Amino acid sequence: MAETQYQKPLPAISSLNKPFWDALKNRELRLQKCDKCGLIWYPPAPLCPDCWARKFTWVQLSGRGRVNSWVVFHQSYFKGFDDELPYNVAEVELDEGPRLLTNLVDIPNDQIRAGLRVEITFEDVTSDITLAKFRPIEIRRS
Amino acid sequence: MANFDLKDRAAIVGVGNSLFGRRLMRSPIDLACDAIVNALDDAGLTKRQLDGLIVSFGSPIGADADTLAQVLGLELRTYNQTWAHGRFTASCIQWAAMLVNAGLANAVACLAAVSFSGLRRPMMGGSGDREGAREAGGGHGEDPVYGMTSPGAGAALVARRYFERYGCGNRELAAVPIAFRKHASKNPAAIMRDVFDVDDYQRSRFVCEPLHLLDYCLINDGASCVIVTTSERARDCRKAPVYISGMQGLPAGRDEFIWAYPGLGVAQQRSFDYQAGLQPVYQMAGITPHDVDGLFTYDAFSILVWIALERWGFCKPGEAASFTQEGRIELGGELPMNTNGGLLSEGHIMGWNHQVEIVRQLRGECGERQIQQAEIIQWANAYGDSLIYHR
Ligand SMILES: [Zn+2]
Repeated sequence: MAETQYQKPLPAISSLNKPFWDALKNRELRLQKCDKCGLIWYPPAPLCPDCWARKFTWVQLSGRGRVNSWVVFHQSYFKGFDDELPYNVAEVELDEGPRLLTNLVDIPNDQIRAGLRVEITFEDVTSDITLAKFRPIEIRRS
Repeated sequence: MANFDLKDRAAIVGVGNSLFGRRLMRSPIDLACDAIVNALDDAGLTKRQLDGLIVSFGSPIGADADTLAQVLGLELRTYNQTWAHGRFTASCIQWAAMLVNAGLANAVACLAAVSFSGLRRPMMGGSGDREGAREAGGGHGEDPVYGMTSPGAGAALVARRYFERYGCGNRELAAVPIAFRKHASKNPAAIMRDVFDVDDYQRSRFVCEPLHLLDYCLINDGASCVIVTTSERARDCRKAPVYISGMQGLPAGRDEFIWAYPGLGVAQQRSFDYQAGLQPVYQMAGITPHDVDGLFTYDAFSILVWIALERWGFCKPGEAASFTQEGRIELGGELPMNTNGGLLSEGHIMGWNHQVEIVRQLRGECGERQIQQAEIIQWANAYGDSLIYHR
């Protein structure tokens, strides 16, 4: 069975961000946490951008947060996204503080609101790369 | 400190534009040449007297400083160039002011030339945008993996954040591009001169929602140049000098995002109530925002005008939506802005066309779009740098 070629841009893996992408592949959201001052930050850095401590730990995060801002693309820029126009890009503020850009899934664009509670969902796009997307946290109805 | 106080120590003595247009089919060097020749002529200076060059937007869309020197036969003692963004206008002029006062150059041409004519898809963003895919994110919040691309998308993210935080929307934002189009209608050099109203605005398509096409600047061809020298030498030039009395550099850090002031809470900015205070540029010039007769800003996207007004203290956070209504930023209003029509309607020459207009305003050369009794004009941007000019 031939894998359909993934058409969208792929992340460039670097010495700094490799643990982030490795974690996503393992279905975990991990960011660096400073061993000295406790800051959790994004994007990955060689040291704590606040206190400049070199010691940090790649901690696992809750994968939950809220929509801080979002946009909807109506214009085609990348062939790989053309089938999904208009598509959303959201900025999610994680409960632990850092903000990630992502796509919201399982929600129509016109239902997106600031403050909407969301949780991570992992999307394997190639055999090596898993993306962090987010979906509304389900409110269970009786 | 005293021997390098730059207040009123440098001046702009000449300004020049090329033709502006959407498909001029002329190269960046070709366009830059017109702007340089026109600016030198305006100053009454010769090629031999020009010994410094600073370029703010290089190849392949612009022209690089070293090539310009070779092709145009300039004899430079010093040149410098930023990477290809519009954000460096004030920085370039600040460096030029320092160079001439430090004795490293006598007269410095600062310019940008852009030509999108030759490109098959004349746009910013997408798969051709290598900087957007650079390590740790693009310069306007790009993240191509999730389809986040182009400078306008970063501005749309700021606009949505602003709308949600302060409870306003496109209907209020429309006042900005409407005002600048009115100004362009009085400017024969402007590319877009047909006025429009709020309904036309709302009907224009979304590019990156919530921003409409009419919230976006033009993508075009053109060049603009200004000549900087010491205030002493300026007095021997052809026209009255326009002095630079205040300067503030371009800030960066985790609380900065190119299209937002600190505290707005975009990208990795902390979220807090921003207070402008009296920014250093005013302290250097010895004035307050109330003394400014005209304000010019980098209006690549209409939301940046709101951000700039709040960043510099012309109004408080959340108030720009109402501040920009009822003609307040139009000619004849309390604070005329971007009287050339801006990047939104005159043309996108990276803010260099705005510097040309500021100088012409302070000389009283602007005809039917003249700001009456203009004495002090400020260049002040969403991203936090500024120049204060006076005649
Ligand atoms: Zn730390």
